[in-house]
Amino acid sequence: MTTPPNSGGPSEAVVQDFANMSAALTGFQPSFIRPFLDPVNLSGTFYEFAVAQVGQTMMDALMSAFDALSNQQPPLSPQQIANTLLEVASSTPSQQAQLCQSIVAMWYLGSWYPPPFQKDGLQQVISSQAYTKSLAWNVAQAHPMGFSAFTFGYWSQPPGSLDTFGVNTGGGQ
Amino acid sequence: MGKIVTIIMLVIAAVTIVITTSITSTTAPAADPAIVLSSNIPGDAQFGQLPPNATNEEKLLAIQGDFDIYSWNTFIALNWPPLPNGNGDPQKTIGQYGDNDTVWEHYRNVEDIFLPGGAKPTYNGPVSVPTQCKASYKPGMKIISQVGKTPTVLTAFSQPFNTGPLIDQNGNYTRYEILVNKPMFDYILQNTLYSKAGQKVFSGAVKFPCGVLGGPEGAIMVKAAWKVISPADKNRFHTQTVLVYSPASQNPKYPASCSKKLMGLVGLHIGHKTNSASQWLWSTFEHVDNAPTEADVSSGKLKAKYNYYDPKCSAAKCPPNQVPPRPWNPTKVSAFHSQVVRMNMFKGNEFAFTSAAARNADALKLLLGVSASSVWQNYELISTMWPTNTGQCQASPGDPLGTPAPNFLANTTLETYIQGMVPNVSSNCIECHNNATMTTPVPSDFTYVLQRAQ
Repeated sequence: MTTPPNSGGPSEAVVQDFANMSAALTGFQPSFIRPFLDPVNLSGTFYEFAVAQVGQTMMDALMSAFDALSNQQPPLSPQQIANTLLEVASSTPSQQAQLCQSIVAMWYLGSWYPPPFQKDGLQQVISSQAYTKSLAWNVAQAHPMGFSAFTFGYWSQPPGSLDTFGVNTGGGQ
Repeated sequence: MGKIVTIIMLVIAAVTIVITTSITSTTAPAADPAIVLSSNIPGDAQFGQLPPNATNEEKLLAIQGDFDIYSWNTFIALNWPPLPNGNGDPQKTIGQYGDNDTVWEHYRNVEDIFLPGGAKPTYNGPVSVPTQCKASYKPGMKIISQVGKTPTVLTAFSQPFNTGPLIDQNGNYTRYEILVNKPMFDYILQNTLYSKAGQKVFSGAVKFPCGVLGGPEGAIMVKAAWKVISPADKNRFHTQTVLVYSPASQNPKYPASCSKKLMGLVGLHIGHKTNSASQWLWSTFEHVDNAPTEADVSSGKLKAKYNYYDPKCSAAKCPPNQVPPRPWNPTKVSAFHSQVVRMNMFKGNEFAFTSAAARNADALKLLLGVSASSVWQNYELISTMWPTNTGQCQASPGDPLGTPAPNFLANTTLETYIQGMVPNVSSNCIECHNNATMTTPVPSDFTYVLQRAQ
């Protein structure tokens, strides 16, 4: 067999940092957003996609803001970090907060919803796996149309707990 | 930390973010896994130590490597010369005389498990011989029979999802068979799952036994693809003289027939349920001459001859991976020849390519060391699909598929027309088999064979 070249991409540390921020923003467990073994690598895909949309400079600034919040003492909860980044108390969120909203939507819906400041942005589904693995299905303890990981007759049984779907319910991570 | 780190331990460590002493072994560290010439069928994969500070890609590559070693060790053991009882003969070696009878061909063919009227099967009893084959049949001879077409079931000359037959460059239809090992057969027998009536009264969940590292093997399913070959090609294939049976058909109309053919093995799927893979481990091997890759075609680096590709025919004249036009008549030589190209299904999962290539090179050295004429040197591992997120012999409730790696996997002789990277459409062993049920609407634990019950 012919081996294709491996494509370059962001470093492991950058992807892990983005995953940690995404976990805080979405309310999911970090280990679900970026599993120990991650053959799907949505964190890497989403990071690269967002950078291509808004530019490296803006993404670096957002990650720096997240890192600063993560390193605060006493430690902030993921919810507190998310509230700060999303500027939930503000009726006129900054461009950085708008980017955070788009990142949340990206994780939940598998699509890019351009932030208001991205004038030439295009709403789009990021990939087939981004769709089938979008978090909205997990919160609903359900599955997307046309793709189910459950076995026949699953609908006759109660769904698993939200924890088993990766949601951070506060029961530990 | 001990060198044996099971996948479940890794996953537990990941999801709890607590490096517990549960993965610390006080026993002497075992040797890292390696491909070996042995008749022992591995009960499960063995895991080596991960590189320190490994990236996601490096971790996946390392563990994929362990699973690919497991696959090659399984392939070697299943293709080992057998004793009269069907187990591997430790006094002999695979390929020492070029070709040899194999262990897996002594497994029970599903044709002889799901019998008419739901009759009770036996593991070593006589095989069903169609009337048209009786004159040519001799005890021990393999019969590849066409069964009634059942949607989503691999039939004798059609493929999953009834996508169509595969026709070689000589116009002959590829034939298939499915066999199961004794632990899988015993589970079917003990739970009376060989008949519709038995399945109807079965309560609970179907749970085939899991293999254990260093212990007994779990349930194993083997699917084999065979093509007609000429005697001149015999030294490149594992071969059998087979009775090829085609039952009568109304559309197109042809009578039942049976003919003796020299067949060469071109594809081999091995599914094994193990402790580290309640979604089963899926190893798939092919003959090295089956088809070029997309990259081979675009670069023009083609062999002079393939089993399922004509290098002299342009893409315009011979578009790749097309289902043969109907009518399909396996009793006649077809004017249509399948033009098969192996699609790149590992984009984003390049570790699967890298690992398989390395393990194939290791295995080739070992097999050539036995004999330069070993036919087994002409087979290659395409990859092993394994769950990255699973429990000890049971799935995680929120992730029944276990997030398989690689994301997609296809054998060009068994999933010719469903290669690709589209979820729920392209070939993914675990995703597809997760949909399997018995003849009752009860999940059948990743096997479709129970649908054959009568």
